[in-house]
Amino acid sequence: MTTMNRRSFLSTLAAAGIVPAVMAGSRQALAQTSGGVLRTPAWPAPTYLNSAVSTGGPESFLSPKFYDGLLGYDFGMVPKASLATEWSMSEDGLTVEFKLREGVKWHDGEAFTSHDVAFTFMEVLKVHHGRGRTTFAALEAVETPDDLTAIFRLSRPTPALMRALDSRESPILPAHLYEGTDIMANPVNTAPVGTGPFLLENYEIGANVVMVKNPDYWDEGFPRLDRLVVQYIADPATRVAMLESGQADAIFLNQIPAQEIRRLAELPEFEMTTDGFEAMPSAQQMDFNLDNEYLANKLVRHAIAHAIDVNWITQNVWYGMGQPGRSPLHFDQRAYFTTEGVPSYPYDPARANELLDEAGYPRGAGGMRFGLTLDPSPWGTESITAASYIKEVLRQVGIDVTIRTQDFAVFVQTVYTDRNHDLALYTASMGVDPTIGVHRFYNSASYLPGTGFSNGAHYVNPEVDALLNAASVETDEAARVQQYADFQRLAYEDLPVLKVTDISMATIANVRVKDHTIDALGALGSLKQCWIEA
Amino acid sequence: MRGALSLLGRLARHPSGLIGMVLILAIVAMSALAGILYPDGPWTMAGPPRLWPGADPRFPLGTDTFGRDLIPALFYGARVSLLVGVSAAGAALVIGTVVGAIAGYWGGWVDDALMRLTDAFQTVPNFLLSIAIVGIIGASLPVITFAIAIVAWPMIARLVRADVLRLRTYDFVQSCKIIGMSDLRIVFQQILPNCLAPIIVTASVLVANSIIVEASLAFLGLGDPNVMSWGTVLNIGRQELRNGWYLTAVPAVALVLTVMSLNLIGDALNDVLNPRLKERK
Amino acid sequence: MSEPVPLTGTGTTGRGPAKAPSRRLSPALRYVLRRLLQAVLVMMLVMVGSFLLVKLAPGDMVDAMAGTRDLTADQIASLRERYGLDQSVFVQLIRYMALLATFDFGYSPINAAPAMDVILARLPVTAILVVCSVSLSMVIGTIFGVLASRFAGKAVDLGISLFMLLLYATPSFIIAILLILIFAVKLHWLPIAGFESVGMGYTGLTYLKDVAAHLILPVTALCTFYIAIYGRIGRASMLEVLKLDFVRTARGKGLTEGRVFYVHALRNALLPLVTMAGLQVSSLFGGAVLIETIFGLPGMGRTAFDAVFQRDTNLLLGVVFISSLAVVIVNFVIDMLYMVLDPRVNLK
Repeated sequence: MTTMNRRSFLSTLAAAGIVPAVMAGSRQALAQTSGGVLRTPAWPAPTYLNSAVSTGGPESFLSPKFYDGLLGYDFGMVPKASLATEWSMSEDGLTVEFKLREGVKWHDGEAFTSHDVAFTFMEVLKVHHGRGRTTFAALEAVETPDDLTAIFRLSRPTPALMRALDSRESPILPAHLYEGTDIMANPVNTAPVGTGPFLLENYEIGANVVMVKNPDYWDEGFPRLDRLVVQYIADPATRVAMLESGQADAIFLNQIPAQEIRRLAELPEFEMTTDGFEAMPSAQQMDFNLDNEYLANKLVRHAIAHAIDVNWITQNVWYGMGQPGRSPLHFDQRAYFTTEGVPSYPYDPARANELLDEAGYPRGAGGMRFGLTLDPSPWGTESITAASYIKEVLRQVGIDVTIRTQDFAVFVQTVYTDRNHDLALYTASMGVDPTIGVHRFYNSASYLPGTGFSNGAHYVNPEVDALLNAASVETDEAARVQQYADFQRLAYEDLPVLKVTDISMATIANVRVKDHTIDALGALGSLKQCWIEA
Repeated sequence: MRGALSLLGRLARHPSGLIGMVLILAIVAMSALAGILYPDGPWTMAGPPRLWPGADPRFPLGTDTFGRDLIPALFYGARVSLLVGVSAAGAALVIGTVVGAIAGYWGGWVDDALMRLTDAFQTVPNFLLSIAIVGIIGASLPVITFAIAIVAWPMIARLVRADVLRLRTYDFVQSCKIIGMSDLRIVFQQILPNCLAPIIVTASVLVANSIIVEASLAFLGLGDPNVMSWGTVLNIGRQELRNGWYLTAVPAVALVLTVMSLNLIGDALNDVLNPRLKERK
Repeated sequence: MSEPVPLTGTGTTGRGPAKAPSRRLSPALRYVLRRLLQAVLVMMLVMVGSFLLVKLAPGDMVDAMAGTRDLTADQIASLRERYGLDQSVFVQLIRYMALLATFDFGYSPINAAPAMDVILARLPVTAILVVCSVSLSMVIGTIFGVLASRFAGKAVDLGISLFMLLLYATPSFIIAILLILIFAVKLHWLPIAGFESVGMGYTGLTYLKDVAAHLILPVTALCTFYIAIYGRIGRASMLEVLKLDFVRTARGKGLTEGRVFYVHALRNALLPLVTMAGLQVSSLFGGAVLIETIFGLPGMGRTAFDAVFQRDTNLLLGVVFISSLAVVIVNFVIDMLYMVLDPRVNLK
């Protein structure tokens, strides 16, 4: 395995002709349902090649190819075996026991044991993983009675935990290479040694990652691909052109504009699927800063909600790749999402005007009532695009909106540290479980100036806090459903956050690419079952 | 004033000057009339999104992804392009002239220090510096103008300095010194008016380049989201390149014509103001 | 990418003012030393200025990370400490300059690697782009310029001048889009993106061909503006030289018009073009940002762009250092060339 093999132009020229061509003829020799090179463009480039130390998008996609998790998830987030072959939770929800797979080897030949599991959860995920700190907060110890048994001891029930054990969210790292080192500075972070189906062949920082089949993978017959090539291409239009011209085979995770996904899906040589994203439902939403004198008024928030046609944004900014926002939860959080009894704010400028008059803000000079600043997150283009729509529709009801675009660092600082914002529009993950992705925006305990994507509205409602706190430890599913239903009703009446669009993610692939999405994790899984028709 | 009028007259008799002036006048008229013809502004979502040019007589140039008419976008965009172009070039002219005049007239260590500063600004990749300034401070028209001007002034400074160096040895400057005129008055009243010709010529090129830089920044997503500039339309159009290339073509043609007309004027000015060059035609 | 370049007038030099020659050093050596000292000073100004620009702005790298990695407040604090961002700007500046003095660019946290490694990996792509663009645009532009001057006032001249004007007025990113649409999307002749076909295991001649195919469009897009510049300067410069005495003398000696034109005049008309190359290198590093973005090239320009937005100061400043150094070196070489080639240059 090569690590960080930088191309030096001169040495490449010197070596030209000496290194044999690796590719030639290998494809024909393989069986029908196997083989091929999968090329996919993506952006941005990763910092690490491991999602235990960073929950960034690029890391989340790459990590599962090198590392395995304890579990996988079938459609509907139904757990299935991976490194763990059996698992059981005690009645009180305080103990979870895992039986581990035998004969699994790390890429460097060392044996995988329960010690790796204990080390990864206690020393890495609980400390360095952005979400792991919350998800595994109640995890007090991982006991390892033998090499193939890991017992999780919890201080309180954590229903979200069983949904967060896949290789993307919680990859198992090799303890023998990490123990006793500065984990964030460990070179293995960019030269992965995992148990997963692919080995790193070449990593050019910021440019590409080339992965090659792991011949000793524990799951016989897998992976089917010979190689997996990820190329980092900054311009979305260029990524589209690559797919269209055959320079790429598939584009995962909405890495191209929605209208292009729509257009390509119509062509016979491409197929689109919105499956395989249950583990990462994401949404676009707008925080009202409740510390602002106008926005502190619930009538104003309701008026703004009536003035904005979220359906228009879903259709024209997201090109229908999603559903207009109706509740704090994402529609893909299927077990808990509801619209029943949840207040709705249909597009109605007249009603918005009425509410604003009622709130005591009549139109003044130039027909304007008051001014607000809108900070769209520069992550992706959709928030900036939607911002210019919102500016126009709010102008029509007499609110003078100034859009402020800044780079991501300043956006995070302006909104979450300085709290110098009125309206903040952004996309964020709603989490595989609401505790992971949704609570942070509504729980008063998450009002943490200095922490990005926390309770930026400064919303405080003891009733909501009580519901959220109860749901995060509730092991009775029916009770939990009820708690979330109540939460959705309350929070959407108060409306500290306006949900704009629940985004549907999509994979668009050439029809020759087979079996890329076979479970809930889709391309965020290992892709070991994927192959390319010759 | 009369000088300026006679200059315009001479420009109008120059073939490329005439074409350039007609074009630029049309663009100035567009920006001046934008508010009168389209009082609702360029953001009104007046029609169905992504309408091709000619598909609906109400929108001869079509609509963008929001259903906004492209014609007002073009008119208001002319305003932004000219505003940024002229004010960035103006700011660069002022900074450059002051720096160049001081360096050239006073010489010595002042000159050395100012020239190293000028070198530094010419050494840093200029577009990258503009990106960094707009990216970090935030994309608003004043910041964009500043980011363009801050990399454009060194050229003017060099030009002015070279002329001032030459002129300060002339007799009329010496006589001014003898009659006790202050240095500032000598520089601004006696010397600078005599090196106006190359400055005016360069100014037209500067305006053109500032317009291109603004559009390039907007193309990279660094335009001011509160104003409709041609770069804004280009940025929207880039996402739609395959579905609707007209969204790129319409502002691109406007941009190219503007830059071209400014350069034609620059060429003509050069010929008109510089008789030495004229005679070899 | 374009940037302010005077089209009119040929001399862009406004070098240092005259100083009394030293008694001990020869004027030439003194001139070289003086230029070297100036170059070092300029580099220091550039680095301190860029450092302050990035550091004095609100927001830092950890803010950018916090948003994408769901970090908690104490994780944020520990990252700030790890990267020295908890120190005052002044302390950070001193530390950075001390590091730079040893040619170390520091660590690039965004890439989890030394900034030098990242830059060295990206440098070849940009270097090839810049070198190809400078040489191609110079050759093609000069040919156009010479042709135009040869037929000055005739239809050929007018045609070339109009074409140059069009190239000059069309921003590189618009040309890039046009090229992609025509040659990659419609005609499928050339690859659209990247520096090479990654993971295909090409070697030898196949690899070179592959890289060349990837570079044709970006180099063309980067060239057009400068073809116009060289064309116009070349034409003006030729016309000026043709009036000079030695050309008249050469004609008087009975040399053929062709020989006078292409040998004697051209050689002398090239000097202003060489000066232009110095300015071009500087602006190409900036222009590379757009072209590398559009063509998905993993070069230094795009790296710098991302470094700006992720506030990876070490990486950004490393790119600024390398590209500024390249510009300083090119300008220095041009000055030296002038000193050798053109006896009119004032050595003081």
